[in-house]
Amino acid sequence: VQQFLAVNSPRLVLLAACLAAVPAFGAAEPVPVTVSIDTSGPSTRAVVTFKAPVAYRVQEDAGRVMVVCEQPLAPEIAERVLEDGIVKGFVVQGDHEIAFTTGRGYRRLESFELKNPSRLVLDFQGDRGARSVPAVVPGGGGQTIIVIDPGHGGVETGAIGPSGTKEKDVTLDLARRLKALLVKQGVTVVLTRDEDRVLPLDDRTAIANENRAELFVSIHLNASKRKSAYGAETYYLSTDATDDEARTLAALENKAYEPPGVTPPPGIAPADKSLELILWDLAQNSYLAESSRLAVSVQKELNDMTGVRDRGVRQAPFRVLMGATMPAILVEAGFISNPDEEARFKDDAYKDKVAAAIARAIAGFRRSVAALDTGPAASGAARP
Amino acid sequence: VSRAGLVPAGVTLLFVALVMAPSGCGRKAAAPEAPEVPASAPTAAPVAAEVPAAAVPVPKATITVWFPSAAGDTLVGETREIVDTLRPDDRGAQILAALLEGPKTGAALPAVPPGTKLRQLWIRPNGIAWADFSTELASGMDGGSDGEILAIYAIVDSLALNVPAIRRVGILVDGRERETLGGHVDLRRPLAPDTSLAAGAPKG
Repeated sequence: VQQFLAVNSPRLVLLAACLAAVPAFGAAEPVPVTVSIDTSGPSTRAVVTFKAPVAYRVQEDAGRVMVVCEQPLAPEIAERVLEDGIVKGFVVQGDHEIAFTTGRGYRRLESFELKNPSRLVLDFQGDRGARSVPAVVPGGGGQTIIVIDPGHGGVETGAIGPSGTKEKDVTLDLARRLKALLVKQGVTVVLTRDEDRVLPLDDRTAIANENRAELFVSIHLNASKRKSAYGAETYYLSTDATDDEARTLAALENKAYEPPGVTPPPGIAPADKSLELILWDLAQNSYLAESSRLAVSVQKELNDMTGVRDRGVRQAPFRVLMGATMPAILVEAGFISNPDEEARFKDDAYKDKVAAAIARAIAGFRRSVAALDTGPAASGAARP
Repeated sequence: VSRAGLVPAGVTLLFVALVMAPSGCGRKAAAPEAPEVPASAPTAAPVAAEVPAAAVPVPKATITVWFPSAAGDTLVGETREIVDTLRPDDRGAQILAALLEGPKTGAALPAVPPGTKLRQLWIRPNGIAWADFSTELASGMDGGSDGEILAIYAIVDSLALNVPAIRRVGILVDGRERETLGGHVDLRRPLAPDTSLAAGAPKG
């Protein structure tokens, strides 16, 4: 295994990393691997978690940092694009390599290992400068920006209807229709994705926050094992997810995890993560009242459109709503598992009606905010 | 093997406990007093076997397991008898075993994807239970938030509404934290029960 460290790279930044002998996995057995990336700190930190010990080397060449492994890899997510000036993303290629593409702000790499589970931590240091979120509207000051989030994407298809309709395709279609209608209201609209690709939940909210968006609307389609499940539902974040007890417990939990005599499971949040979570949770907490009113407005329009009278808004601890620093809702536009509804979502006229209902609700919500707006210093919601 | 008694007993016991933990929940629950039996007393088992079963009635407790409703987007309760044990983790393991086994009436639907197993359950003194399930819990999700919400709260409510020592439930998959099961509900921290989903459950 050690001989593998012989390297042919132009600039070898890190050797090391025979984490152990590899008894459990045969040489050809793919090793499950996950890559998580945190851009919240001064450096961009990637944590590569191997499910079994892996021999690897880290090498660097123009614009790329490669983790080359001896065993084949079975990545949980094989590719990710980041809105970050230091690391632009990664891709798992040729089964053995994880290639990180570095951005203009990248200066140098530091790395270290953690055990149980085997983890390689790559600290990409540099100068992030202005975050290069491509979705940020240039010179966006003074404009009203609404971020529409088409649910799922790429290999994450979301729900699939009985005749094969994919949620990810319908959500993007609906989002584009909604965007066209909102643009007519004089709003600048940013889609979190405008193509069929994987986009982490964190990044979706981050795009809204980076753009200082006035509203965040995530669009999904539902699925259920119940044949009767039918119709549109609008969600906002449940209060439990943001309440004080949850935060206190989260902090305590991270301080003293281990129960006596039991090995803690790997992957439990390290202490620094709890602070991040707490701060993010507080963010949406400040907007729950507005999120609720926006949800009511959208649900009412959807009820009127479909002829349903009694369906109210709902709350759930949805990950994508957590951390949004603006009123944020998630619309389940219908049940794709229901054959009748699935058929409707193939019909352009119906999709236009759904988009129009949401657009009307947003317009109504913005008017009500404008009515409350007492001075020019208040948010730009009043100005179309 | 018993001659390898040079190994400190505590280490052996710990090893046995760890080995048994993933699969032994049901058995542990059926013998709550097991930890009090001296591990080095080979005569304990034959003595216990001579006691007529009827002379030691196993105390039972009735609990409510929460399943997704077949009729609407809520949970419905089905009652089950479990061995009445004071140990919260034994209680919890029996409840989850019943949940994973599935509903017995047409009013309810299975809560979790087929093949889902409980790997481990433990309960911390601060009222947080960590339930670790096999991969199927995530890989078998159908992609809709409906099924994801109901699966998660079937687990959380079944534990927290039946075991007073449990106030919140954290869900792990294959020993690891997950952001979500299928892209919707935040699993990064333990969840409190949602009594609005569990129809007829005591509120609060």
